[in-house]
Amino acid sequence: MRKLLLLALCQLFLLGFVLAQERTISGKVTDEKGSPIASASVMVKGSRLGTVTKPDGTYSITVPASARTLIFSAVGSATQEANIAGQTEINLSLKYDAREGQEVVVVAYGVQKRSDMTGAVSSIKGSEIENQPFTSLDKALQGQIPGLQSVAASGAPGSNQQIRIRGISSITASNAPLWVIDGAIINANDLSRLTTTANILSTLNPNDIESISVLKDAAAASIYGSRAANGVILITTKKGRAGKTKIRVDMEMGQSDIAYENEKYKPLNAAQYIGITTEGLVNFGATPAQIASTMATRGGSSGIDFNWYDAAQRTGTQQQYNVSASGGNERTTFYLSGGYFSQEGTQIASWLKRYTGGLRISNRVTDKITVGANFNTGFVRQFTPLNGGAFGNPTLSSFFILPTRSAYKPDGSFNILTPEFPTSNLFNTIALASMDKRYLKELSIRGSVNGEYNIIKDLKFKSVFGIDFSNLEEDQYNNPLYGDGAVLAAGSPTFNPGIVYNAATTGRAFAGYTRYFNWTWTNTLDYRRDILKSGDLYFTALVGYESQLSKNYFTTLQGRGFSTSPLLYLQYPSSTSTPSTTTGAISDYSFASAFSLADIHFKEKFILSGSFRRDGSSRFGVNNKYGNFWSIGASWNMEREKFIQDISIIAPLKLRVSYGVNGNGGINNYDQYPLYGFTATYNSAPGSVPSNVGNLDLTWELNKPLNIGADIGMFKNRLNLTFDWYKRKSTELLLNVPLSPTSGFATQLSNIGVMENKGIELSISGTPLKLRDFTWTASFNISKNKNKVISLPDHNPIIGTFIIKEGLDVQTFYARIYAGVDAANGDPLWYLDSSRKSTTNNYSLAQRVPYASASPDYFGAINNTITFKGFTLDAQLNFNAGNYVQDTWALYYLGAGFNAGFNKIRRVLDRWQKPGDVTDIPKYIEGGNKNFHGFSTVFLAKGNFIRLRNIQLGYSLPASILSRLKIGSAFFYVRGTNLWTRVKDKNLGFDPEQGASSQTNLDIFIPKTMTAGVNFGF
Amino acid sequence: MKRIHNYKLILAFIAVMLAMASCKRSFLEKLPPTSLPPEKALATESDLQAALRGAYAGLRATDYLVRTGPLLGDLMADNAYVSLTNTGRYTAYNTYTWAVNDGNATGFWRGAYTAILRANNIINSPIGANVNVNQYKGEAYAIRALCYFYLVRFFAKPFTDTPDGLGVPIVLSYDPAAKPTRSKISEVYTLINNDLNQAYTLMTLFVNYTQFSKYAAKALQAKVYLTMGDKTNAKTAALDVINNGGFTVVAAANHAAYWSALTPRTDKVETLFEVSSDLTASSGFDGLANIYNQAGYGDMICSDDLYALYAATDVRRSLYTPGTKGGVPAVFVNNKYPGTFGSEISDTKILRLSDVYLIAAEASLPADEPNALIYANYITSRRTALPIASTGALLFEDIISERRKELAFEGDRLMDLNRLKRSFMRSANYPATARDIQYSNTRRILPIPQAEMDANPNIRGEQNPGY
Repeated sequence: MRKLLLLALCQLFLLGFVLAQERTISGKVTDEKGSPIASASVMVKGSRLGTVTKPDGTYSITVPASARTLIFSAVGSATQEANIAGQTEINLSLKYDAREGQEVVVVAYGVQKRSDMTGAVSSIKGSEIENQPFTSLDKALQGQIPGLQSVAASGAPGSNQQIRIRGISSITASNAPLWVIDGAIINANDLSRLTTTANILSTLNPNDIESISVLKDAAAASIYGSRAANGVILITTKKGRAGKTKIRVDMEMGQSDIAYENEKYKPLNAAQYIGITTEGLVNFGATPAQIASTMATRGGSSGIDFNWYDAAQRTGTQQQYNVSASGGNERTTFYLSGGYFSQEGTQIASWLKRYTGGLRISNRVTDKITVGANFNTGFVRQFTPLNGGAFGNPTLSSFFILPTRSAYKPDGSFNILTPEFPTSNLFNTIALASMDKRYLKELSIRGSVNGEYNIIKDLKFKSVFGIDFSNLEEDQYNNPLYGDGAVLAAGSPTFNPGIVYNAATTGRAFAGYTRYFNWTWTNTLDYRRDILKSGDLYFTALVGYESQLSKNYFTTLQGRGFSTSPLLYLQYPSSTSTPSTTTGAISDYSFASAFSLADIHFKEKFILSGSFRRDGSSRFGVNNKYGNFWSIGASWNMEREKFIQDISIIAPLKLRVSYGVNGNGGINNYDQYPLYGFTATYNSAPGSVPSNVGNLDLTWELNKPLNIGADIGMFKNRLNLTFDWYKRKSTELLLNVPLSPTSGFATQLSNIGVMENKGIELSISGTPLKLRDFTWTASFNISKNKNKVISLPDHNPIIGTFIIKEGLDVQTFYARIYAGVDAANGDPLWYLDSSRKSTTNNYSLAQRVPYASASPDYFGAINNTITFKGFTLDAQLNFNAGNYVQDTWALYYLGAGFNAGFNKIRRVLDRWQKPGDVTDIPKYIEGGNKNFHGFSTVFLAKGNFIRLRNIQLGYSLPASILSRLKIGSAFFYVRGTNLWTRVKDKNLGFDPEQGASSQTNLDIFIPKTMTAGVNFGF
Repeated sequence: MKRIHNYKLILAFIAVMLAMASCKRSFLEKLPPTSLPPEKALATESDLQAALRGAYAGLRATDYLVRTGPLLGDLMADNAYVSLTNTGRYTAYNTYTWAVNDGNATGFWRGAYTAILRANNIINSPIGANVNVNQYKGEAYAIRALCYFYLVRFFAKPFTDTPDGLGVPIVLSYDPAAKPTRSKISEVYTLINNDLNQAYTLMTLFVNYTQFSKYAAKALQAKVYLTMGDKTNAKTAALDVINNGGFTVVAAANHAAYWSALTPRTDKVETLFEVSSDLTASSGFDGLANIYNQAGYGDMICSDDLYALYAATDVRRSLYTPGTKGGVPAVFVNNKYPGTFGSEISDTKILRLSDVYLIAAEASLPADEPNALIYANYITSRRTALPIASTGALLFEDIISERRKELAFEGDRLMDLNRLKRSFMRSANYPATARDIQYSNTRRILPIPQAEMDANPNIRGEQNPGY
């Protein structure tokens, strides 16, 4: 019976085949020079049947008997048709077309050809950031986008990244760009609350990304209204294409070390430390007896020489595995992916593991209706040690703990609770690395469901409901015996023997839960109308409505009082005796917006664009709930003009100009409200107090960017050049205006203050050499930005490490100018004032002066790619210049004897020793030499650097071998990341990348990584 | 065909409009989940009670009444000095070198006006009167009076010196934009007395001594009158407290236990008002106990001349323990403030019945020496101290000295020396350059803080001399 059925089924199939009378046509598509074109589209005219060419340019397509014509098209080429009557093989050469060479770029609420744009948009393909040893895609953007500064503050796996697009425009509000993934506005940056540094974008697998667009000027970004001031980054995830299902497998492994080390900033060994410290005591005037007793307490005769730097730093590891499948037919396409990424940092107790899965499907329900959905999920577990001045920071102990003290006792156990390591001073972090826990677990689901309805020709309705869900769990444990968690009973010694713990409070565990659920619902109508039938004059318009609601829920609890068992098995709050912290609340914000975009195109020559958005937000004060934002832009495609067409080498040539107004709504959720808080208790009963002065006028900061740009192509797009000049004025800056303290409040957040950024961006890319088997492509980009504060409340500067003052860059270091060492007596000298005419050895007499900025003058990258037969060599050099970097903690390890009980770095050995010595490090005196350790320019170094950000050598197996192995493609590579770094200033202690504010914080160092990997396609 | 297209177009627009309309205005109103707008936070009687606790908590700020206030009263005078072995706190007060931007003085100013704002909002509440509401408002009046009393004594010249001189800005309602000028000293005292009269009238309940009560307000008024040099009213107010308040002076046998007790009591012994600190709410290690007690920072030491004033039999002497700090002999203030960080923290005494007796004694002079002796020896007899038997000017000096002994380290000494317009000599415990403190020394009062000068142009011309 079963056999019979099978037979019947087979007959049915055969019948169908015969009835259809299909046939197969094959051939090869090449360019004008005869080189194969991969991924060219081959479509049957009048149907939706089609295929794409293989890497060798060949194709094979089954066509119905009714088919008469095939349409061939490829990026950068003119579309061509071919009659197939009576043919089974068609080989075709596609002609180059400058206009078709324009890539299609994802822009706000749609896509656009470059030639249709009026705004400044930079974009990169997903392939340019995939398989890199970075825990989040924002780290991969460095050097890739003109005008976008991407700097790390830490090399910790999963660390946050700071992105500044066209400079800093705000003092109080956020300077981070708006992130939009597949049309949904997401919460980016560090959402953690207990972890040293985290980045929610680390839950997104860069290998799932198809393209990234960066919207920089008014014409491109103002449509995002009150959140566009810092630029907008649009992420589009990968989707499937009709055709055979493609499977891709990527595997990679590697290891990492510290990218930049300065030998002068390595800690002293025991002999060096003992030598300099004894010298310091002698210079202080200590008696031999005092020297002997002091040195005894510092391990002067311990005979130990322990390298804390080497103990805290290590070789990191890196691996990732990604699998994806994509394909579909003309009705339904899909993309599926799974990934695993693991990184161990270059410092002990730092790691990250990521598990990701992605799904995107799209279905054409009818000719008019398309529906789709996409979801990217990621789960990250990371372990991040303390940073900065925390006693538990392993990098801090690398520099601070004396080399005369070992992390281990002679019996091999940890050296803790000894006179060398009591619970009240610098901790033995090697011990704590295995005794304490600092976990973060992040789960993100980002995605959207969308539908499109082509109501009539040229009128389309689109609805996208996007979600962005993030769930963070933070588990921290500080053991009860030693370190941050240990609490001793009153009167107890701080180390054994006889140590008595406070049973109620020793040891602590935190459990933190944070949830963000954020949705964006966007409805748009997209319309195009030809005003002249010829198509010479047409306009496109888009109107839409968008609402967004982000809900945040969080709880933290802390328990204290663990059993003091040395086994430390119990590590969760449930095992504690004393509840300590109990925090829990919600925090929400919402936006509702109506917007429209319109373009008028005249003969493809002139394009005039305009955008308008009206934003309302829960964050804005009731008196300023809604704001209007707009832009106008124009472009002139000059290559369409006769007089340019005569210059045959230039095409395209495009001029762009735009101006508009957008905003920065990065205000805290409830800043506007005058409030009573319930944080004060009296006799353990709840009390209420005025907690926020509020400002019902509070509103977005305004940003008014003017952009003038040009896109020039030459030699048939062998050379492309994009240039932009911009000037953006930010007004209504949010600043804390001091109130009379008699009001009961110190300051009130108000919209006051003006700042300006102006700069230029240039990118050049080209193919200097192209032979049959050899191609060399190169690109270069450079960005220059100048920031200036224009006005502040009452013209009063805001003074800290930076001076925020009218006329100066907002990140100007405010410091006394170090003048070196008095060769006669070894005293440190400072200039009295900025004239640098006279010096003083009295720190207090020297004036602080605005010195230099922490923001670079310019930065950029140089990219080269050489392909020869199957080999590819990629190299990217990043550069950055003009900023100064502050070594925040240097007073401890560089001070001339200040805190002599902490270890020092080798630069201290350059100290002045005898009259006539010319050096920049003063005489070493126990306790410090005349406040040399006070902040001055000696702790600032030039941040100029050149870094080999990426170098990759790859090899693709040739088709002949591939076909024998029955695989579609195979690519092998070795890659080096940050392999080589060159800095200008020999006194730059640590990595030149220290966050957007260029201040070190003894964070995990930025790694250099070597990886080797393979990608297979099936 | 064309018509169908239009029809669909209209449908699509309707769909979009519906999507917009579904988001009502409330969608854009997100109220903070852990705070309330003032009108909702102060809507009911129990809200006033919570706000009152908030006002008391305002007194608990480190730079206000749980450390800087009571500390400066002894450190700027001759009772407390900073040990050479110290944590760097208040050293400028030891050397009489603080400046206009001094953080502690600024903090005190801010603390006082923060508490005044909290009290103002209760006093100005329109909630209908009843016994409880009257009590809360009465307590708020007393808190406001206390705050202005501290402010006007620390930041303005004594009333006994120039009543028409510059006092402090009077703020009676909330206005963040206000830039007030300094009122006259006499105007500030008028406000204080009006507030205390209101407080006395409105209050009918006694909870415990960490909250103001009718007779605590009256005791404060006795002190205010004494500070103004109005002995008649001072005596009347003091006797009202003594005769009608129902409070009792702590006996010698219970003296040590009184100071070591850490939780609020309801039995009306000794304390009329103190600021409560407990395990859950305190200034932590930044309280008064930690700066005096050697189990805490222990920076502040009892001056040798004060310690020498106590007779061997005097129970108050055992509040202080001689020892050495950094190799130097020092008298510690451990037992007056035993509750340091980590345990329940010692409360800050603001008003005590013993003080009221000594006010009555001083205010009886010169007219009524017999009663002055009775009131003064009511205290000495309960401290097993030597009885006072002097007469005339000597009797007055003995009472002032008794005040110093009884109220040491409670912030009273400088206030006495200022209202009496006395120069004084600090002991050899202090730096040599900062011992002879003349009444003319401009640092006898604090500067109007730099932060106030910066933010308030109207007060810029009204700085105290010498700053």
